[in-house]
Amino acid sequence: MMKVPMLALRIQVLLLAFFAIAGFSAARAAESPSVTAVLTDSETTLGRPVQLEIQVTGVSNPKPPGEINVDGLDIRSAGVSRQYSMQNFGVNYSFTYNYTIMPLRPGAFRIPPQVIDVAGKVLRTPELTLNVVNSTGGQSAGRSRGSNNRDANVDPAQIGFVEMILPKNTAYVGEMVPVQIRLGLNMRAPVESLGSGMQIAGQGFTTQKMPEPRQTVETINGRSYQVFIFKTAISAARTGKLEIGPAEITPVVRVARSGQRNPSLPRDLFDDPFFNNFFNDPAFAPSMPKEVPLKSTSTTLEVKPLPPNAPAGFAGAVGSFTLKVDASPKKAQVGDPITVTATVIGRGNFDRVTAPALEDERGWHQYPPSDKFKQDDDVGISGAKTFETAVSAKERKSKVPPLAFTFFDPVKEAYATLKSEEIPLTIEGAPSTLGSASAAAGPRATSPTPAVSATPVPARQEQDILYQMNERPAVVANFTPLYRQRSFWLAQLLPLLALLGWVGLNLQRARAGNREAQRLGQLHQEAAELQRKLRRNGSTPQEYVADASRAVQLKTAIARNVDPNAVDAETAAAAFRLDEEKRARLQSLFRESDELRYSGGRNGGAALSPEKRQQILDLIDQLHA
Amino acid sequence: MKRSLFYPSLGCVFLALLLCLADTVHAQEADAFARANQEFAAGRFGEALDLYNGLVNRGEMSTALFYNIGNTWYRSGDLGQAILNYERALVLEPHHPEAEANLRLVRDKARALELRRNSVERAVGRGTSAQYAIAVAVSFWVAAFALAGWLLARRRSSTLVAILSLSVLLLAGCGYALYLLETGANGGALAIVTAKTTEARLATADNAGTVLALPPGSEIKILSTRGDWSYAALPNNLRGWIPAKNAQQVRM
Repeated sequence: MMKVPMLALRIQVLLLAFFAIAGFSAARAAESPSVTAVLTDSETTLGRPVQLEIQVTGVSNPKPPGEINVDGLDIRSAGVSRQYSMQNFGVNYSFTYNYTIMPLRPGAFRIPPQVIDVAGKVLRTPELTLNVVNSTGGQSAGRSRGSNNRDANVDPAQIGFVEMILPKNTAYVGEMVPVQIRLGLNMRAPVESLGSGMQIAGQGFTTQKMPEPRQTVETINGRSYQVFIFKTAISAARTGKLEIGPAEITPVVRVARSGQRNPSLPRDLFDDPFFNNFFNDPAFAPSMPKEVPLKSTSTTLEVKPLPPNAPAGFAGAVGSFTLKVDASPKKAQVGDPITVTATVIGRGNFDRVTAPALEDERGWHQYPPSDKFKQDDDVGISGAKTFETAVSAKERKSKVPPLAFTFFDPVKEAYATLKSEEIPLTIEGAPSTLGSASAAAGPRATSPTPAVSATPVPARQEQDILYQMNERPAVVANFTPLYRQRSFWLAQLLPLLALLGWVGLNLQRARAGNREAQRLGQLHQEAAELQRKLRRNGSTPQEYVADASRAVQLKTAIARNVDPNAVDAETAAAAFRLDEEKRARLQSLFRESDELRYSGGRNGGAALSPEKRQQILDLIDQLHA
Repeated sequence: MKRSLFYPSLGCVFLALLLCLADTVHAQEADAFARANQEFAAGRFGEALDLYNGLVNRGEMSTALFYNIGNTWYRSGDLGQAILNYERALVLEPHHPEAEANLRLVRDKARALELRRNSVERAVGRGTSAQYAIAVAVSFWVAAFALAGWLLARRRSSTLVAILSLSVLLLAGCGYALYLLETGANGGALAIVTAKTTEARLATADNAGTVLALPPGSEIKILSTRGDWSYAALPNNLRGWIPAKNAQQVRM
């Protein structure tokens, strides 16, 4: 029972180990960069270009090889293609740098190893040899390849046709000439593939990469053809009469097998043996794939040289272009980058269109531009190439100077320079003065360098950095902002404690103030009750006098904020600033009160007259602070 | 009596030993700094960088150290690293005149791009993060005291109201300035392009469209990171992806 799970477990472990090893080895392989270089043909004829492909794999950002110079060969970059693929959890990078090699003279040429800088490692391509012959022998040899499979009985003219259309028969060197090639294949010969694609034979020109052909069906002379329309453009690399073509292609079509003709049908039903049997139609009869070489007629293109004395800014652009320029932002400070966007729109050899240059670079820094091309057609000879160049002003500016782009216009047969309008903007701030900055820094006490001279330094003198600091500060700094440091928050405890202490103290004071207010309230209440009692006239003389003296004490205590029991006649008289007569009456009142209180009423037990009571009441009412 | 003096004496000896140890460490660091300077003066920039970086790794960071490292990278021909270290020196001491002068010079030579700063950021940049943090703390506590006084007073004082209003305004202003400093072009996300060739791209692929070519020493502000790529705010108000290894953050 346990054997099966154990076996499954072992298989799982083995599979895991296998995938781990495979993944590791794949990752190792992906890590190790490599470079190869191949020629599409190691032998060619004079004027017939070949392609050189330098392929770098295993690295994401190789430094492209530089210009390749070989005496007798005109080698030009034809762009780079990139490929990325995921394999075993890793990404494989592959960069292919393409070059077009145009032989200028016959001989054996060695293309030296090219150095590729790959993440600090230097890789070299192998040395390649290209044999250039003066005759067409090599070419014919090349063309004869793949002919072994051809059937001599098959007439290519019955299978299809190729025609090449050039809209003009004269052009300038470098001018892009659109080419349309039509391949028609008889509908009775179904196409399996188009072989290695359409090729244009000839010498002294380069061909744009052909996109996938457009397909239609046409009826020509009563026969239905599947028509493939190829579009490309050629660019002459030398002057003189160039023979363009023929355009060649070797499609693979299905044709009837030989010897399977239906003998019951008359021989002369069709002229051609290929169609001599209705059942040769692959839909009804056995068939086999056949390579059928087809080619067009060649045509002649007369290539004229560009006129001499090209303008200084001319970089090889030939065509018809317009220029559109903009800059943003419109307001900046000295030293701030401004993006100048220049768009070259039109038709021509965009691979030779370079970034328009500032007509007057004084006071500006110009950084390397970036470019992107948006093509409007299938072959890339019409579109818009946009350059974004970052510039920064060294001083105050009010406009971006015009940008200039020079090209050769084959229609007008003259060089043309496009100039943009000045772009108004505002650059503010102080000019960048490096010299003054260095001088302003001045020598420090630790400086071993001599003092800055007062003599003006020539503006173009190479500036150098200031001296090295020799004294190491005792305090160690760090990049943590102050508000993220613990000491900062600990320091906040001090004001927090102070605030809490202060608030506590104030609350205590407020509470004490409340007690005093309560005491005063009680005194007021008692004084009011006594006043009412004195007016009621129902009390004994002893009580009346005692209440009156108590009322005086309360009024004095309220006025002076003192203890009412400590108030005597003198204190009350002083508190209310009484005259002598009232003072005497007050003293008399207190005396009578004391006598009545301490003697028990023996010396003053007689009843108080209403006048006397009124006098006492008046005296109390007159006590105001 | 003897017993009572034993423990204080032991404590004093221990403290003296600690002080001696700290002094020895400080002397060693100073010696490394001086030796690095000597190597620099002798033109052995690689050795000088090793010694300087050793100090950085041990946490002995200072304005002078980063300034000297910047000078050494400059002499070694790496302008991006030189600018990075001058920037670090200026973070620690924002108005260090030598670092400012050398940074201007090297930036001009490298044609490095700078992040755009608006007028508010430029005005705020005159102060330092520490200054604004202290101002925020002081204004907060003044406002707190004024508010407490206003609440506790029997009679509402107009002076207290004025102080409270002013301190709240100051608190808000300094807080905003601190926020701008920390999140703006000079904030914690500031990084310097150190690779020789860097192109900001529209997507995280080497064949994606180019947004901007960034010379070494250019300023960027890293907004996010995805794998080996960083999404960054670029000079001229652009944004794009750059390989993460091509730039280093200024604040360590």
